[in-house]
Amino acid sequence: MSFPFELAVFGSAIAVIIIMGFLLYYFAVDYRKHLIGDSYSTMSKQEANTFLSKMRRELSLSVFMMDDSKSIGIRYLLTSLAFFFIAGLAGIGMRISLWYPNPTFLTPVQYNILLTEHGTLMLYGWALGSLLGLGYYLLPSSLNIRKDSLGIVSSVMYWFFAIGGLFLIFSKSTASWYFYYPLTDQLTEAGGGSFSFVALIGVMLIVIATVVASIIFLKMIFIDRDKSIRLSNLSLFSWSMVSAAFLIIGSAPVSVVADGYLIYDLVNPVFFQGSNGTALGYAIMFWFWGHPLVYVAVIPAFGLIYELLPRFTGTKVFSYRSGVFSLLLLMVLSGTVWGHHLFNSGLGTVWDLIFSSTSFLVAIPSAISVFNWIATIWVGRPKMSVPMLFVINGIIDFVIGGVVGVMVADVGVNELVHGTYAITAHFHFIFLGLTTGIAFAAIYTLFSTFTAGRKYNVPMGKAHFYLTAIGTWVMSGFWLVGGFAGMPRRVAGYFGIFQTYQDAAAIGGVILGIGQLIFLINFVYSAYKPVETTNENILEAEAVS
Amino acid sequence: MKRITPIAIFLIVLIAAGGSFVYFLEVPGGASTQVSASYNSTALIVLYANAQGWNYNSSHPNPTIYEKTHVLLEFKVIEQDNLPHTLTINPGPNESASSAIISVDIPAVTGTVVWANWSFSNSGVYTYWCEVHPETMVGLLIINSSQNSSVSANNSSADAPSAAGINCNCTFPISLEEQMLNGIHEEI
Repeated sequence: MSFPFELAVFGSAIAVIIIMGFLLYYFAVDYRKHLIGDSYSTMSKQEANTFLSKMRRELSLSVFMMDDSKSIGIRYLLTSLAFFFIAGLAGIGMRISLWYPNPTFLTPVQYNILLTEHGTLMLYGWALGSLLGLGYYLLPSSLNIRKDSLGIVSSVMYWFFAIGGLFLIFSKSTASWYFYYPLTDQLTEAGGGSFSFVALIGVMLIVIATVVASIIFLKMIFIDRDKSIRLSNLSLFSWSMVSAAFLIIGSAPVSVVADGYLIYDLVNPVFFQGSNGTALGYAIMFWFWGHPLVYVAVIPAFGLIYELLPRFTGTKVFSYRSGVFSLLLLMVLSGTVWGHHLFNSGLGTVWDLIFSSTSFLVAIPSAISVFNWIATIWVGRPKMSVPMLFVINGIIDFVIGGVVGVMVADVGVNELVHGTYAITAHFHFIFLGLTTGIAFAAIYTLFSTFTAGRKYNVPMGKAHFYLTAIGTWVMSGFWLVGGFAGMPRRVAGYFGIFQTYQDAAAIGGVILGIGQLIFLINFVYSAYKPVETTNENILEAEAVS
Repeated sequence: MKRITPIAIFLIVLIAAGGSFVYFLEVPGGASTQVSASYNSTALIVLYANAQGWNYNSSHPNPTIYEKTHVLLEFKVIEQDNLPHTLTINPGPNESASSAIISVDIPAVTGTVVWANWSFSNSGVYTYWCEVHPETMVGLLIINSSQNSSVSANNSSADAPSAAGINCNCTFPISLEEQMLNGIHEEI
């Protein structure tokens, strides 16, 4: 066991990062002066931040030394993109290892590590990170905020997020993303991994950062927005952030408490031991946040679709009020469905039926939004650019994933497909098509701003889109069929009868991975192109009215 | 935008992804390049994780186990004494954790059962031992070629690994029934 050595290296690396951060803040060149120009000397720091947070800002590594909202947003976007690629490579590794029924190159422990890293980094790192990044980047300009305060808090919370992600990577936990009790506290390779408590600390840091950022979003929306913007014409993206922020604040602290209990149980097992609490107690506390978390990952994507569709169809949103209604109803209903993850855990028939019913009800606001989007496309003239392709694919994927979700919300069907690849297919359709696809749509829309007036290469963008869409469909589609045939998920090997589905999913996964590489190459390629356009973008411009 | 920015981001992302992937795969016992061989049959081997020996309550506390290649050996390790143990298997008669084929931690809770499966492709002498108790918990695992043993009982001992120095009161090759009489399988 090389515990003390690894811990020493790990701890000193974190300490060096923190010290470097402080040094950079105090001694590095002040990049604000460069961006604002001569008038900088007459501004206070808060005025400068407010000015900077409404500029059209490009990608730059100097954002790590500034604390206005736009800089924080770019920080979150860059970091979450790194987490996305780390987690994506882990996912492709799992797919390739599952080519044959006997694992080809991963031992079960290695498979579990990749599984945990893929799950935690994709959800906490990419889904939450890109949501926070887009929120910090888009909200100040869409609300035309009057003052951009709390920059230091946002900055510290960003570092909580980044260090939390590093903790998740370094922990090499095998306990899967929900860190269930008896497994997580067994600090062995056969249990939750020797450092699974480090992953718990990482999750706590990320969740705390998310909660504080949500409070800051609510402050921006309700207190700091320009007085001329009334609540009745707030942008739908802002409404979606309201919905997501309330959902986070209402449920995430429970998860932090549960993680704290888990860490305490390492020292003195009192909370979730069979004699005092129950192991199910942790599962309940976790899913009270775990299910809202996955809605938090899709609700901002809903808001972005509402923002992107009018701009690419040249018309207004079909029904603004039903859009707001659906986003707020989603907030209320999605806080009540978490029990459907525990249908087979012995909550009791009555509870199962209650959670099953609320899970069916969530289809109502989702369907309102979907029909709203379809109506918007119907009355408008859709322009099939790359972001619009991502949006349409996102809507289709969401419908497929959502219908499967309603199916598995039935207690009887859930009994059959629980723990099979049908569930994996359900949430990969939604997370890949909606969360990831819409984040890419937003990034392509903001491309000319991010690169200071360069256009993305359209063939490469379309290649990225088609590879992502086809990869998602092949991978998740075969999972879905295999899952209904009984193919178990979260295992390093499988029975030979499932090889067709697994091989097809592996091909889909590799296609998906190649597509994301093309996305990165597109950014590099743009750097070698001349400035062709202004750094304006349609997402931050005035809405179509 | 400076030209270096997207290139730096590209490189950082690729290095982070690749580096993390390599880091994830560095697991004790998991980083081994050896792959479990294909198998036609399975054999269950029950071991007790106890500091006095792997089969502590018999006359042979660390029995020599005879098995064949291309048989999936299913080691069922039962924790007995609330102490931390590992089941580690090395090629040859040596005890070094760095060259281990299998290294599985056994949680220090009495009654915990840990399974470790492996199928050998090469015949020879292997060592099974505990990294925490290398003196008391160590035994030999002798793998015969499955082809020879399936021919007949007379001519197959030529290919067997050298059994010199092994205190063994059984003959080569050994049938499953004899092994069961020999102690290690009797708790099944």
